[in-house]
Amino acid sequence: MAVRAEPVYPVPWYRGRFTSWITTVDHKRIGILYLITCLVFFGAGGILAVLMRTQLAETNEKFLSAEHYNEVMTVHGLTMVFLVIVPILAGFGNFLVPLMIGAKDVAFPRLNALSYWLFLFAGVVLYASFFADGGAAQTGWTLYPPLSEQYAGNGVDLAILALHILTVSSLVGAINFIVTIHRMRAPGMTWMRVPLFVWTVDVYAWILVIVLPALSAGLTLLLLDRQAGTHFFQPNEGGNALLFQHVFWFFGHPEVYVMILPVMGIISEIIPVFSRKPIFGYTAVAFSTVAIGFYSLLVWAHHMFTVGLATPLLGFFMISSMIIAVPTGIKILNWLATTWRGNLIFDTPMLFALGFIALFTIGGLSGIFLATFPIDWQAQDSYFVVAHLHYVLFGGSMFGIFGGLYYWWPKMFGRKLDETLGKWHFWLLFIGFNLTFFPQHLLGLAGMPRRIYTYSRGGWETDNMISTVGSYVMGAAILVFVVNVIWTRRRAGVRAGNDPWLGDTLEWYTTSPPPPDNFEKVPYVTSARPLRDLRKRLETRGA
Amino acid sequence: MPAPVRRKLIFACLSLAALALVLAGTAFAGAGRGIPPADSPNAGGIQDLYLVVLIVTGVIFVIVEGALILFIVRFRGRGRARTAEGPQIRGHTRLELIWTAIPALILAAIIAVVFYKLPGIQDVPAAGAAGPRMTIQVEGRQFYWRYTYPNGAVSINQLVVPAQRPIYLVITAPSYDVIHSWWVPQLAGKMDAIPGKVNHTWFEADREGIYQGQCAEFCGIEHAMMLTQVRAVSNSEYESWAARQLQVSQDIGKMTFLGACAPCHGMQGQGVIGPALKGNATLANPQQLATLLANGKGKMPPVGKGWTPHELASLVAYLKTEFVSGG
Repeated sequence: MAVRAEPVYPVPWYRGRFTSWITTVDHKRIGILYLITCLVFFGAGGILAVLMRTQLAETNEKFLSAEHYNEVMTVHGLTMVFLVIVPILAGFGNFLVPLMIGAKDVAFPRLNALSYWLFLFAGVVLYASFFADGGAAQTGWTLYPPLSEQYAGNGVDLAILALHILTVSSLVGAINFIVTIHRMRAPGMTWMRVPLFVWTVDVYAWILVIVLPALSAGLTLLLLDRQAGTHFFQPNEGGNALLFQHVFWFFGHPEVYVMILPVMGIISEIIPVFSRKPIFGYTAVAFSTVAIGFYSLLVWAHHMFTVGLATPLLGFFMISSMIIAVPTGIKILNWLATTWRGNLIFDTPMLFALGFIALFTIGGLSGIFLATFPIDWQAQDSYFVVAHLHYVLFGGSMFGIFGGLYYWWPKMFGRKLDETLGKWHFWLLFIGFNLTFFPQHLLGLAGMPRRIYTYSRGGWETDNMISTVGSYVMGAAILVFVVNVIWTRRRAGVRAGNDPWLGDTLEWYTTSPPPPDNFEKVPYVTSARPLRDLRKRLETRGA
Repeated sequence: MPAPVRRKLIFACLSLAALALVLAGTAFAGAGRGIPPADSPNAGGIQDLYLVVLIVTGVIFVIVEGALILFIVRFRGRGRARTAEGPQIRGHTRLELIWTAIPALILAAIIAVVFYKLPGIQDVPAAGAAGPRMTIQVEGRQFYWRYTYPNGAVSINQLVVPAQRPIYLVITAPSYDVIHSWWVPQLAGKMDAIPGKVNHTWFEADREGIYQGQCAEFCGIEHAMMLTQVRAVSNSEYESWAARQLQVSQDIGKMTFLGACAPCHGMQGQGVIGPALKGNATLANPQQLATLLANGKGKMPPVGKGWTPHELASLVAYLKTEFVSGG
């Protein structure tokens, strides 16, 4: 009697005991750990954001006290930068880089695990600081002295500790990415055949290696001032308050590009696949990444246009900041050209990618206002800056990150996220985002400074109210995403198969989810689109 | 979902997106409503630059977002198979060179305009319609602004100046304080008040009137309460006001209280972050009060360090009538 065999799937990597997750050195599991942890921190940081918007909905609101608002504002910024966007991109890099370059794992799997666990520990330290003596840091995420040296409690010390741990974590991770990308590519994968996402992760890692030591140094001096009686940043004892700003932004501005470049990589993967075309100008997109990475090291003082810099310095940093707009513009035009005459397929990943182009363009253009230093004298430290940075980091980074999650979810978990819920997620987020942040441009120009816990001046109420309502719409969008994840996990859904989107790159060659060693055999790479090459070869053979 | 319904849905979504972008676009173009009118030559110069950049970026915005929407509508699937490929165009070197060069030229033009307008924004004229330049010392402190006038008079939070005269501001913060930023958008861009560093800016109020501003650099718990105001008056009114400011008076005491004490102790001295003032024993003892103000205590910064004797005397007199003698 014939028994029909059940189709055999390799044991998914996510099945296994809890301890197997604690001890894992598999890049895919570590990548997933990163992604999940970052999404949890994203939820926490998002709740803090909604608290702030609620406080600012009306004049003289008493929802939060000044102290609580300042803590929430500080931890929101630290969370979104250091515990969400930078590490979630490390998560994508972890899961994808070895798969995309046809490797079995990263170069140093144990260091990779170290890097994740340090990151998690740092996050716990930062959130534990809410319970410290004196509460969490109330300094803004920039931790400027002398203010940050004035607080007696331990909030600032714990924030410094968290960032110190994160620097080690990121540095280890970055070196791991660099060695992996430079040494472990599949046969035939020359630099001009490396997937664009991998290009951006490489530049991301190089920038981190160059600038993280500056942050470590600055934080160490700050800690010494606070705890060891030194006076590096205390003017009354001969120190220099501005020194910290230079050190911080020498790290901080490249950090902005660390947060956007891999997302541009994600966009450069999604747009061609859902346009059924190759990326327009592969070389230009790849080298503009390197150019942005290089120029990001030369623009830091545009965060300091109001500290009283000499005019030649103002001019230099304006020009260098404007120059960086050129490679950024190249990317946007290349993505647009990629969609031209394509067969556009509006699945959720593509919606987020197109949303990224729409919103990041606005963030890029408002950046030109800020780079023009006389305009910056008005816009600096106002809500205009808040709007700009959210258009870049939320409209840009987070939209790209969501696009990436929808795109690679089937590869990670074997099933696609639900498309209908995905579209609800996108549209609510797109509308809510613009409601929240567009009016903030106007508030900033009207004179509303950032980081104020309340206001009584007239004329700011309407835009603030619109902004708060928008933040609730964004909250609803995120809830739709959570429902989508749970729904996809629970239902006995259809398996996505190896290559649900007709992808271009090697990760779609292996099973979904991939087996522990990723590939049984890696095909010889003949172009930047090895999977399409393979499909074409099969077609001709079939014909 | 049947194909026609899905197509309708996609169309609905797309038109919604187009609408959202058009709205955002018009709001961006109309962003001028966000800026208060400029009432000083330097603020005016900045506003001119703002308009130049707004027009340039506005055009780029329309081109890029327009192309995006156009391509989305024009090249949507329209019933083609998911597997159908578009033409495999890998790039176009000349086109790419052109769209690298054009943005570079546009940015170079913006930079040229900035340097052309810069002297009008940065350079302080020697005299205005109503008289010669006047220098005022500005000190940013937790959580008030302290202005010192040429005749030695002092004011807290409210800066009184003659209109139509260039006002040169020398801005700093005490070495033990933190960084603040002086900002009155209608009159000038902001300038940081940094401990251990002396910065400068200027303005010349076109007309008499009141201009609002507030600290723009996060400076601690009551940063949001660190407001300032510029009152531009006629030359003669200014002269008599400045002379009056040299006397000990309840008015100066009240101004000092509202600026330096009220952010933490409440407008009625009811206590917010700091303790309530009513019946507070320290207030009855001028010696103790002076020491407390000069040194600070716990969370209280040394708000009164370096105050002139008549500022102190005015505050003591005011506090006495308000909070000590049953007032």
